[in-house]
Amino acid sequence: MTSLSRSEPAPQSLAPATSGGWTVVAAQELRDLWLSARGPIIVLVFSLLLSLLTYLAATNKELNIIDQKDTVNLVMQITLGIGVAVSLLFSADAVSGERERETLESLLLTPVPRRQIALGKLLAAASIWPVMVVVAIPYVWALKGGASLFANAVVAGFVVGSLLTAAFGSLGLIVSIFSNSNRLSLALTFFVFVVLLAPTQLPLSGWFGDLIVKINPVTAGSSFLDNVVVKGHGWGQESALLLAPVLAAIIATSVAFLIAGRLRLQRGIDR
Amino acid sequence: MDPVRNPEDITNTAGSVDAARVVLSVDRISRSFGRLVAVRDLSFEAAPGEIIGLLGPNGAGKTTAIRVLSTILPPTRGSFTLGGIPHTRPGAIRQQIGVLPESAGYPLHMTGGEFLRYHARLFGHPARGAREVAASLLSEVGLAERASSPISTYSRGMRQRLGVARALVNAPKVIFLDEPTLGLDPAGQRQMLGLIREIAGHRGATVILSTHFLDEVEEVCSRVLILNRGEVIAEGSVADIKRRAAPRTARVHVPPESHDVALSALSQAEGVTSADSIDAERGWLTATFDSAWLDQRRKDGRNSAIRALTDAEVLILSFELEGGRLSDAFLSLTEEGQK
Repeated sequence: MTSLSRSEPAPQSLAPATSGGWTVVAAQELRDLWLSARGPIIVLVFSLLLSLLTYLAATNKELNIIDQKDTVNLVMQITLGIGVAVSLLFSADAVSGERERETLESLLLTPVPRRQIALGKLLAAASIWPVMVVVAIPYVWALKGGASLFANAVVAGFVVGSLLTAAFGSLGLIVSIFSNSNRLSLALTFFVFVVLLAPTQLPLSGWFGDLIVKINPVTAGSSFLDNVVVKGHGWGQESALLLAPVLAAIIATSVAFLIAGRLRLQRGIDR
Repeated sequence: MDPVRNPEDITNTAGSVDAARVVLSVDRISRSFGRLVAVRDLSFEAAPGEIIGLLGPNGAGKTTAIRVLSTILPPTRGSFTLGGIPHTRPGAIRQQIGVLPESAGYPLHMTGGEFLRYHARLFGHPARGAREVAASLLSEVGLAERASSPISTYSRGMRQRLGVARALVNAPKVIFLDEPTLGLDPAGQRQMLGLIREIAGHRGATVILSTHFLDEVEEVCSRVLILNRGEVIAEGSVADIKRRAAPRTARVHVPPESHDVALSALSQAEGVTSADSIDAERGWLTATFDSAWLDQRRKDGRNSAIRALTDAEVLILSFELEGGRLSDAFLSLTEEGQK
């Protein structure tokens, strides 16, 4: 028979978990992501993909018809695409996944403010991106494009990727807050990402093409990376292309944190 | 060790709570979803150590009431205070409450120990304190040996006990348990009821227990709130509620050859308004008492029927009062509500 004979410390003796609650949530989410199979498997698959690409680019002279700068750019573009997409999917699972697993109520019953719960989850989801960059660094280095190209590619890729991760991670969180179904949340956010990614593969030209490239944060970020790494343009020269990713990151994170404060058990927010 | 409190010491005879000891004060709270009013004008007070049963048929508003009081849902109208904290400070209230939700999910990949440590940290315990609290609570709910096992390997009963332990990580003043014994086997139910008594008795926490199992309420609750269609239709001690459905009818079994004599004796018995035969061949009859007369002679009113039968020298094989249990009161009150 169980016995509850011992009392715990009085609640008044507990430091309110309202200030650092996000660190507790983030730490747990990071453990769930990186100490379980999910994170390491994604990184393993990603590194295998980069290994194959780098091996072909570095050794196969017949197949290696693209310039070294283009190869470095390609590696960074792939890192960017996969890193942002995976972060997006993890953040899209953040709330709707908890709803579906019926674990959200327990979390909402803690004194940690909802905004901090969202922040902790978003940071954990975004942790995929820097890990992807770290994994990509040896491959970029192995392509031997020179120290300047290496630094330019890694730094530019990291900046663009961080902005897009913030934007799309927040978008995933917003959709997740408004969805009871994890499947819907994942499908919708991934669809939005693919729609915005598609123009990078289209031959856009003229003023309309320029406009699409500049207002779409994905095409703008991709073009910025392309121009800096391949064409060797300076950051100042291409700064206009960073406008859309910066605005997307600011707007999406602001909206996410605004509505996360009113996160509720069922889909949507308290009005 | 604190002495186990007697709930009767806390509530007065009318079933209300001494103002100085109120830990939870609910004042006409309502919660609507669009045009549907899930909870309407719910008011009650609770003292430390009380176990209050929240009863009602499906859709009566029990879970919504718990979600409002546990700050998961804001009330549409009304207000409540918990430990003196108004409902407008939900974060501060959450620091004072523990909740076992009806559909509590668990992160199945985590161990019981990790789960409790995580929640203790969320409630502000430092890392070391969280480890101590988790170990202590796991031991108290009988899960110490399974602390390192993934929750996915726990039985339903073990998960419910883990949920209770989670609800206690912050030493709450009020604990809300929504259907804690649902899906448990009789041994698990017994263990859970024991835990509930311990929470109220030794910790002095107020327990709000929502359940479908009326015998559980009779066993552990000091007071009962019966909800129907979002409204409180009865409130009081278990004894009070039972009294409202006090038996008006007795089912009598006599030898078949004495059936007619018994019927005649019963129809002439003091306070009996009618006597009817159910099955003459087997000797079954019923006697219905006058309500006003029973109210006047609450203690021995029904003995008049027995006296009439013995005076007529009828052998009584059985004399069973119909109604008088909490389930009868519950059914009669909720059926009235449905009408």
